[in-house]
Amino acid sequence: MEYTYYPGCSLEASAKGYDESVRFVFRTLGQKLVELEDWNCCGATYYMSTKETTSLVISARNLALAEKYGHDIVAPCSSCYTILYKTNQILKDNFIMKAKVDQALKKENLQYNLHLKVRHPLEVLVNDIGIDSIASKAKISLYGVKIAPYYGCQIVRPDRGFDDKENPQMMNLLFEALGAENIYFPMKVRCCGGMLMTTYPDVALELNKKILESACENDADVVLTTCPLCQINLEAYQNKINKKFKTDFHLPILFFTQALGLALGGTPKELGIQRSIIPFQLKENVKGEAR
Amino acid sequence: MSHQDIRIGVYVCHCGTNIEGTVDVEKVRDSAADAPYVTVARDYKFMCSEPGQDIVIKDIKEKGLNRVVVASCSPLMHETTFRKACEKAKLNRYLFQMVNIREQCSWVHKDRQSGTEKAIALVNAAVRRVAHQESMETVRVKINPNTLIVGGGIAGIQAALEIAESGNKVYLVEKDSTIGGKMAKLDKTFPTLDCSACILTPKMVQVAQHENIELLSYSEVEEVDGSVGNFTVKVRKKARYVTDQCTSCNDCTEICPVKVPNPFEENQSLRSAIYKTFPQAIPNTYVIDKEGRPPCRETCPIGQEAAGYIGLIAQRKFEEAARLIRQQNPLPIVCGRICYHPCETECNRQFVDEPIAIKNLKRFVIDWERNKGGPQAPQIEKKRKEKIVIIGSGPSGLSCAHDLALKGYNPVIYEKLPVAGGMLAVGIPEYRLPKELLNTEIDFIKKMGVSIKTGMALGKDFSIEDLFKEGYKAVYIATGAHKSLKMKIPGEEEFEGVYHGVDFLRNINLGTAQPVGSRVAIIGGGNTAIDSARTALRYGAKEVTILYRRSRKEMPAEEYEIQAAEEEGVRIQYMVAPVEVIGKSGKISALKCIKMKLGEPDSSGRARPIPIEGSKHDLQFDTVIIAVSQSPEIDYVSPKVSLVLSKWNTIEANPETLETNIKGVFAGGDVVLGPATVILAMSDGLRAAEAIDKYLNGEPLTSFKSRRQKKPARRDENCRPHSYAPRFKDTPRKARLKIKERPPQERIKDFKEVELGFSEEEAVEEASRCLNCGICIECHECERVCEPKAIDHTMEDEIQEIKVGQVLITTGYSTLNSDCLIPYGYGLYENVYTSLEFERIVSSTGPTQGKIVMKNGKEPRAIGIIHCVGSRDINSHPYCSRVCCMYALKFAHLIKDRTKAEVYQFYIDMRSFGKGYEEFYSRILDEDVNVIRGKVAEVVSNGSPENGEGDLLLRFEDTLIKKFREIPVDMVVLCNAIEPQPDSEKIKRLFSLSFSPDGFFLEKHPKLDPTATATDGVYIAGCCQGPKDIPDTVAQASSASARILSNISKEEVEVEPIQAFIDPELCAGCRLCNDLCPYGAILFDQEKRISKVNEATCKGCGTCVAACPSSAAKAKGFSDRQVFAEIEGILE
Repeated sequence: MEYTYYPGCSLEASAKGYDESVRFVFRTLGQKLVELEDWNCCGATYYMSTKETTSLVISARNLALAEKYGHDIVAPCSSCYTILYKTNQILKDNFIMKAKVDQALKKENLQYNLHLKVRHPLEVLVNDIGIDSIASKAKISLYGVKIAPYYGCQIVRPDRGFDDKENPQMMNLLFEALGAENIYFPMKVRCCGGMLMTTYPDVALELNKKILESACENDADVVLTTCPLCQINLEAYQNKINKKFKTDFHLPILFFTQALGLALGGTPKELGIQRSIIPFQLKENVKGEAR
Repeated sequence: MSHQDIRIGVYVCHCGTNIEGTVDVEKVRDSAADAPYVTVARDYKFMCSEPGQDIVIKDIKEKGLNRVVVASCSPLMHETTFRKACEKAKLNRYLFQMVNIREQCSWVHKDRQSGTEKAIALVNAAVRRVAHQESMETVRVKINPNTLIVGGGIAGIQAALEIAESGNKVYLVEKDSTIGGKMAKLDKTFPTLDCSACILTPKMVQVAQHENIELLSYSEVEEVDGSVGNFTVKVRKKARYVTDQCTSCNDCTEICPVKVPNPFEENQSLRSAIYKTFPQAIPNTYVIDKEGRPPCRETCPIGQEAAGYIGLIAQRKFEEAARLIRQQNPLPIVCGRICYHPCETECNRQFVDEPIAIKNLKRFVIDWERNKGGPQAPQIEKKRKEKIVIIGSGPSGLSCAHDLALKGYNPVIYEKLPVAGGMLAVGIPEYRLPKELLNTEIDFIKKMGVSIKTGMALGKDFSIEDLFKEGYKAVYIATGAHKSLKMKIPGEEEFEGVYHGVDFLRNINLGTAQPVGSRVAIIGGGNTAIDSARTALRYGAKEVTILYRRSRKEMPAEEYEIQAAEEEGVRIQYMVAPVEVIGKSGKISALKCIKMKLGEPDSSGRARPIPIEGSKHDLQFDTVIIAVSQSPEIDYVSPKVSLVLSKWNTIEANPETLETNIKGVFAGGDVVLGPATVILAMSDGLRAAEAIDKYLNGEPLTSFKSRRQKKPARRDENCRPHSYAPRFKDTPRKARLKIKERPPQERIKDFKEVELGFSEEEAVEEASRCLNCGICIECHECERVCEPKAIDHTMEDEIQEIKVGQVLITTGYSTLNSDCLIPYGYGLYENVYTSLEFERIVSSTGPTQGKIVMKNGKEPRAIGIIHCVGSRDINSHPYCSRVCCMYALKFAHLIKDRTKAEVYQFYIDMRSFGKGYEEFYSRILDEDVNVIRGKVAEVVSNGSPENGEGDLLLRFEDTLIKKFREIPVDMVVLCNAIEPQPDSEKIKRLFSLSFSPDGFFLEKHPKLDPTATATDGVYIAGCCQGPKDIPDTVAQASSASARILSNISKEEVEVEPIQAFIDPELCAGCRLCNDLCPYGAILFDQEKRISKVNEATCKGCGTCVAACPSSAAKAKGFSDRQVFAEIEGILE
């Protein structure tokens, strides 16, 4: 199947590994990703809380461009996914807002007719391709790897039928089928603080400490995330957390597609894993069928 | 009345500023004064006041008014007031019209000009209308002094006692097997902490003993007809299966093998299928929980209670299982080996994995019984002298003889062949049913007083006339279907080596040689064909081939028989049929065959075989056995034996009574059904025995107890065996045990039994796969141990019709159990309880005997109690459940009293509003309970459940100190919301009630009339009207009773005459209206051939008025002229 690909700003820079691994995974599974040409920054969640109409216009521009491609738009970053999805929903429900946005879009000769579906690679993999199909293509079993699947808050809330809000299972089931062990991880949907790391670092550091603590308590080997902001918060600030709270975290934080890519036989270089601050290495794992 | 006589008075009310604020009242008055026939128009500040009413009365008297219009508030408020005022002035109340210019004008508009215009239009309309109104009289209906109360909780009990004490009769209907409702589940009640059972049970006993209360427990209302004063209610009294002889000795619950979660204990412990809800239940008897009948029993043509004996096998009670089987089955050895088991085909286990091997389990039990010495001969008490003869000793005749013998008769069986047993002896091969076992079965029946005479053929050796002449009083013909059908192909009757299936098998079984060559062909796909094939193999045939004209899946033979044959080396060729038998020197040498293809389904539902042109080919065979079905041999039917035959040459008999056209002669089995099965023939035999007995007793041939095959309801993998079990698709799988068989190469060398039966361990294991469909498996163990003989599994539901004048609904509440509870860990963590669950924990008769312990038995160190779970929540219920704050405090007190645990209570507001409630709250505060203002956000586990003891962490915001906190506890109690009952929709429909937005029943007025409803004669009280505590519930029950008693004492109730009326001159008697009336209020006068409205029940909905094609049905108070006048008034 073909999808329109919206990388978003982070995937071009600090989360390059996510971009590389998403492309690898989709390619290996025989799915086509066509990058949206001339896409612009989605505005991210924070903008919408301050200037709603403008943020909707900025976001809707991407939707209008993507609509022409005729395929579902896939946005790996949780924030981009949330924003594009919310924009789509607001334009569907609120005709006054839609009229305003249409007016702005017309200035660039664009039009959005609400024909687009906004998707996230995790649910595309699970719903469209299917866990069984992915597991059958796995080259390396993840047996022995203890993962803490961290969904973060944006991907499940507000409710858009993505998965259960309190206890989502998509990553759990996917990686279980690949042989990994899901540890007990009650913090899986706890907020990482997002942008607060830059504005209120004390709050954010504490939130991230709790998440890491929960993962380490149950001996996780790696935390898998779906969002560049969560990933950078959890990984890049581990030193600061250690200093502040006198802890000793050295937990690798990967994007879930990087771990999936490894199972599908990708090399760390192909998946951008060499960019990680805290190194992750798959132990000598069983080759062959994952299940 | 001619128009000159109309004198209208119009009065426009200011209602203070309520109307005057938006509507220019004086302008309206002036406009009205100009309208035709208006004698006087006034305005006044408060028309409803005494001076206001006096103005109207004075004008009527002094100005001779004969019509009045008042423009003020809603008729719901004051129509009665003004009508009464008119009556005081001797003016008929229906010559008054009210205009609502407050709620419908002033309150909904802001613009004074348009508001006034609207008010003027409305008043004008009323003035035009009222001119056409005519006097009417209210209808007076006599009130039946009986009352129905639906719901036996504390509200129903209180009301029942109140009304019964006045000397009037009360019917108290309760759905559960005992009254008491939710209050019976409580331990202590707030604020006095008295024990709930102690204050409730005396009232319950009073209800049981009161002479004016008829208690219909375990019953539900099914249908309601009529209206206030005269309701006819049909109540379904569900069968308890326990009679009044029960002494509550409890022997039955101990022996019952079925255990299901106990709903009274909120599913925290188990109870058996026979149970008493709680020790002080009223009525104080037991009840058996049956959810329909298991499909195995439903579909068995003799109604064998398979689930019952399977349950007994699972408990190793083999003797009881054998006894149960024999109670219903006269040929258990036979059935355990060769029955075609419709029970297995319908067994619900098939939706999980595979059906239970019921036939093999029956075989195991009967073999076990035989090894222990065999069954005891039954005691037969009464002896009957009447002579009965049964013609045919097959399964049908034997079953009939068995049951007749049990009833005390000594029937004689006449059998044509030299051996007894019918098809069992001469159709079924030895390796499936050994003759030794069949004869054991037949001997047992003979010992009961049955004699079998062989070599007696009907029509040859005796006739029906002869029998009656010899003094036989009844005859049962069960001669079966033993005549082979011919294929009618050339050569079929010519050559040696061509046999027909049933003849082949019969001759072998009777000892006549049937030489079989080495290349044998079998034509046909049924059991006879398979039997013939496997028999031929055992006679040394080298190659046995079955030729079948359709494909495998259309073959009527049993799948495992086909498989057994294939294992033994039988080959099967599909889609081929012979068209000619080719012979040489008088013996068969080949078959000319033609290939077939499958076409559209024929009358049997299977694809029709169509010959393929040009595909004829010869196949070499030296023997052929043709087994293409049988038909009855009815050569004895003659003018002397003048039985009526059907077009298929079967005897015609009544399917219910098995009577034929000859009096005293009954017929059943294959001779009536055509070639069928053993068990269907047995079903006929058992029915015939009952029919003959009734016939000889001179009783009518109705209400038979013997069972027939019933089709179970459609099910699929989403259904459950009963409501306490998981769905079929969620049930853990376990493969069906295969019965041991002799290896194929060994077994074809002889005719010894092929199947070897289950071992004891295998039988118990296979029986444990049974899902106990319908809860009670009817093993009859309870019946066996019940000394007073109070158990009757054949009881049926009864419908009782009662006539009452008024109804009180006190159906109570349910508690929230939905996804809302998941963030609090309910269902995820062990020690999270709902309020009712915890209530049972603290009760001394509950699952922990009142000890507050965690699931692992240890005492908790800290308990969190969370208020407002699902209440005051826009995502769930926006209302407050009213009682939770108080019972949460009660819990805190009980916990402090019995344990050393810390208690943390999380509230939003503390609602302790009642008498003694605030004092109770202060007391709890003094008991060192931590009361925290803040809603708990979530309950999470404090670590992996495998580590530690599963501490729960409460995460919340302490709003008084404005801090986010986390507290570890061992146990959490959720105060989950009170909700309407799940079946309140049904009650709403039955009694024409409405819901308020919160889902509880709607009262007439929330402040001034909380126990009446908009439906006359129906009242509500207690939690079904809205959440409330016990004091308020009792108060409402008494209040509703007062209203009910007041109406009873008035003896009559007034009904509005705004009803339909059918003009007898115009009615054409088409009766269209009869069925349209939703209240069944139209009667048809057969003599006059016209319809008439029943004034007592007509609600004035107008449906018949709209539908009547002759315009004979009119609405009183809403005539066409009145309505058009009103419309014109608005449009002017």
